[in-house]
Amino acid sequence: MKIRDILSPFTVWKNLFRDPVTINDPVRERPGAPRYRGFHKNDVKKCIGCGTCETICQNGAIDMVPVDGIAAKEGDSGLRPRIDYGRCCWCALCVDVCMTKSLTMSNDYQWIDRDPDAFRFTPGVDKKKWDDAELGYTRPDAHRLTPEERIHMQELGPETRIGSFIEIVKGYSVDEARKEADRCVSCGLCVATCPAHMAIPDYIAAIRDGDYERGLKLLYDTNPLPEVCGRVCTHKCESVCAVKHEGDPIAIRWLKRHIADQVPLDKYRAIVGAAEPATGKKVAVVGAGPAGLSAAYYLARMGHAVEIFEALPAAGGMMRYGIPEYRLPYPDLDKDIAFVKELGVKITLNTRVGKDVTLDDLRKKFDALFISTGLHLGRSTKVPGADHPKVFQSIDLLRRVTLGEDIYCPEQAIVIGGGNVAMDIARTLARIQTKKYGKVGVTLLCLETEDIMPADREEIVESREEGVVLRPGYGPTRIDTDGDRVTGTRFVRCLSVFDENGRFAPRFDQSDEIAISGAMVVESIGQGMDLSYLPDDLQKQIVFERGRPKVDRHFRTSLPWLYAGGDIVQGPDVIHGIANGHAAAVGIDIYLRGKMEQ
Amino acid sequence: MRELYEQLKRLFPLGEYTEQRRDLAFVTVPKDHLRPLLIHLRDREGFTHLVLLTAVDWIEEGRFQLTYLMNDRAGKRDLGLRVLIPRDGAAMEGIHDLWPTAATYQRELREMFGIDFPGSPRVNGEFILEGWTGMPPYRRDFDTKKFSEENFNHRPGRATKDPAKHMKDKLYPDEA
Amino acid sequence: MALYEPDRSQYPAKKPDGTLDIDLTSGKYLKLWQGPQHPGITGNMSLELTVCGDEVVDCQTHVGYLHRGFEKLMERRTYIQCFPIVCRICVPEPDFNEYCYAAAVEELSGITAPRRADWIRTLILEMGRINSYMMYLGGQAGSLGMGVIGQWTTYVRDLMLDRFEELTGARIYHMFILPGGVRDGLPEGFEKRMEETLREIESTMKDVHEAMFCNAVFKKRAVGLGYIDPALIEPYGVTGPTARAAGVAKDVRKDFPYLVYPELDFEPVTGKDSDAFTRADVRRRDVLLSIDLLRQILAKMPHDGPLMAKIPNVLHWKVPRGETYIRAECSRGEYGYYIVADGSGYPRRVNVRGPSYTHAVALLERLIINVNIADVAGLMVSLHTYPPEIER
Repeated sequence: MKIRDILSPFTVWKNLFRDPVTINDPVRERPGAPRYRGFHKNDVKKCIGCGTCETICQNGAIDMVPVDGIAAKEGDSGLRPRIDYGRCCWCALCVDVCMTKSLTMSNDYQWIDRDPDAFRFTPGVDKKKWDDAELGYTRPDAHRLTPEERIHMQELGPETRIGSFIEIVKGYSVDEARKEADRCVSCGLCVATCPAHMAIPDYIAAIRDGDYERGLKLLYDTNPLPEVCGRVCTHKCESVCAVKHEGDPIAIRWLKRHIADQVPLDKYRAIVGAAEPATGKKVAVVGAGPAGLSAAYYLARMGHAVEIFEALPAAGGMMRYGIPEYRLPYPDLDKDIAFVKELGVKITLNTRVGKDVTLDDLRKKFDALFISTGLHLGRSTKVPGADHPKVFQSIDLLRRVTLGEDIYCPEQAIVIGGGNVAMDIARTLARIQTKKYGKVGVTLLCLETEDIMPADREEIVESREEGVVLRPGYGPTRIDTDGDRVTGTRFVRCLSVFDENGRFAPRFDQSDEIAISGAMVVESIGQGMDLSYLPDDLQKQIVFERGRPKVDRHFRTSLPWLYAGGDIVQGPDVIHGIANGHAAAVGIDIYLRGKMEQ
Repeated sequence: MRELYEQLKRLFPLGEYTEQRRDLAFVTVPKDHLRPLLIHLRDREGFTHLVLLTAVDWIEEGRFQLTYLMNDRAGKRDLGLRVLIPRDGAAMEGIHDLWPTAATYQRELREMFGIDFPGSPRVNGEFILEGWTGMPPYRRDFDTKKFSEENFNHRPGRATKDPAKHMKDKLYPDEA
Repeated sequence: MALYEPDRSQYPAKKPDGTLDIDLTSGKYLKLWQGPQHPGITGNMSLELTVCGDEVVDCQTHVGYLHRGFEKLMERRTYIQCFPIVCRICVPEPDFNEYCYAAAVEELSGITAPRRADWIRTLILEMGRINSYMMYLGGQAGSLGMGVIGQWTTYVRDLMLDRFEELTGARIYHMFILPGGVRDGLPEGFEKRMEETLREIESTMKDVHEAMFCNAVFKKRAVGLGYIDPALIEPYGVTGPTARAAGVAKDVRKDFPYLVYPELDFEPVTGKDSDAFTRADVRRRDVLLSIDLLRQILAKMPHDGPLMAKIPNVLHWKVPRGETYIRAECSRGEYGYYIVADGSGYPRRVNVRGPSYTHAVALLERLIINVNIADVAGLMVSLHTYPPEIER
């Protein structure tokens, strides 16, 4: 026993003279650290109600609930997370995974209430004292639990692709597709925006699982043209993708294409299933475009005998005669059409209704009719000189290129219009010029400035890469002609395209005039429909609304046996056409079954 | 690790070998050869430390995997021995005489997985679960969710909606 | 000085099977329950003691008061959803669970966490070690009658919790080390505040040394208490400071270096006498070692670079089939996670190897024989066990 061991403990007494280390008023004097994970905050305006917070919560503490004043709309479910603090463990995975970064945490950690149910509330909606807290946990920018970068799509370089009409985009490999599919958070916000309401999260999940048969079956539930839509769909779904808020949206379109590309046609029937037993009813479809094919496919599935009448020598409509081959190769289109035919749909080509066969004949031979003849008449700018033979309509030229005709294509061409069709013809001409002259000489002008050009962003980028000169923000005033030659076009600067009510009313600065030279002008400012095949008495019976046939939700016109869909009803868009065709098929089926029961 | 495996293979009929890391490997051992192999590893190869003994329920195959993880500190290596035993009437020879601490593991396995170790001290006594009469709860077919729903009350007032379904109901209820 | 001398004549005889022949009706023996609510018990477990006079003749440990079935719960949660649960397996030192779990998932998925994340992980683990030892020192002193030590160590532990709070955003369950890396880097000025905290701990440790280790009462009670024969270390799976106090230099940080330990300069702390006093002293010196390690880490640590590896979308993270074991040296010994993946999005089996498992059951039941009732708490605390990691 050392003496030190007896004495040393007495050093404890020095603490008698020490100040206490405790905090007197911890409620007020002790705020949480700047990163503290305290009570949740939610910026409800930023929140899109995707529910990933609910999905990741391992405690089941989060419910997605409707909230007054926030309606469901495209890209926003209208739901907001409600948190049950009886279950929350403050792990902040919900904050980390939040797609919009709207969900954060304050550094407030003190809250006393006698009502246990008060501890279940909707942050940002139920006002709390920490709503304006500046400190607290937010996801650090580099901290990502979901990959934000889209898997790069292999595509041909501009030098290669300008020399031919070979498809630009190569499509994902199985591995790439799985990685891209992995990025999806399966929230399903896209489904409402897709005109066909495709089961997008489900077929993306099928890619993750490598189950392409399940994927294809899901595609065909709502869309009989997956190869087409997987390439040229306007992919509105991607514009509402939850992932886009803090990263690149999921490449939904390319993934859809990937599924269809993976399954050979001869397996389709086994996977998707054959048609139901024949009902004995017959339906005629006028026009073999997306709406017509879609309606025919679903009607055939339901057991009805369907015949499509198509004026041109091949089926596909605008998908074949409008969209250039470098965007949609014909073999892929043919694959989709082949399966429609395999289900028993008869397609009669080179038969123009109204000329080769009358609508009345069809009405007598068939139980119901679906018209989807599309928009095949180009609109003119009607500026002086627009009636010159070297002034063309883009839609006519594109059709003639597909038909294999050798179109007029000088070294310098002018395209007027800023939509996707204008891009299609500009890039088609650029390819023909490259073949003929070895260089590109296309100038594209449009009223809209680049930020509001209706064309897809990638079309603008790619056409520039291919050598097309873009001059957005100009409107034509006159086409200069010299005998049978066009020499150029004059444009003035467009100050604004729409008025304050959002109506089309362009204003120009007449002093800012430019002259573009070119031996050909292509107008591409929109298309109209040709319904001259409808007999006059029918035209009178059908109700039109803003120039389009008026239809109900089953796409039935004012005549009980006549259904209409596609571009003539909804305006130009493939996926809308497909959705219309499907809805019309459901309507026609109800109509026909009603007749069968009578 | 591979060398050790080759060496052991000459002495014992060993099954599948998996090298997980440079210093960690797993090898499947027939039930009857476990004990001599453990003694060999302990006395000849320096694997004196029993890191853990646990079970994995491969219910689809109708088998339990017992994992004996052995550690050789001086040799800086670990060897996991996998013993596959049938799930029905699961029983295994105890190793509590080699490592007294194994008795604890064996008690737990008996209670949580229903694997018997005849002769192991207090193997049939309660360990963690007091008064438990149901199925051994760490078996895969014991459903924790069902158990909690049957035994605990939910607080009322909870309801959630699926975003996609809610949007369909609100935005396009009539469409397909 | 009067020393306690056990009276061997009162002892029960052994039956042929080795168990003791205890006839409770004889009046010679008494059943005594210590715990689950007892200040001398480290957490919620209980000891069923059979005593003869003042002396323990038999003991059975009872655990299960904290059983929440974590291992089972994890089988029903996705890999990311397990991350917030694992820390709850050990309250005073939760970070080892986070690290071992994250490292095991990373290894099975073929992901390597960024180097900077490794430094921060090491930093957190050493901070946690100090915290755990502070709880221990308070408990060890308290169980042998010195309440004041616990007040000091709780104070400095609280300072360390402040550092945890500003670094991780939480005080107890940090939930900061997740598969793939860590959440964030160090906050502004962290090193300076950490240095202040370390100085405060050092000064407290000096006081603790004076008041506890140079203390005749403590020595009298702790020296010789709970002697563990070094020959028992391996059969009983003893690891950590308990083994090091017996002269067996087991330290995962040195034996199986992980994270950035190969880049740090240290020697495991060992002792010779293998009793409660030596174990306390080894842990006291381990605190000083951790302080030194923390200083080394903060000085060498990189300050930029990624903190998270590229991980798959956590909402459907599938881990390929396989099994692995990841170990780390926690304040009580070898902590490890054995994870079996079956290729799905959920772990097939997670087994947590907590050092308390071997220490608090088989070893304690052996050591406690012949110990005076008053020393039971001190002996138990000297093994530094945390019940939640026994029953998981």
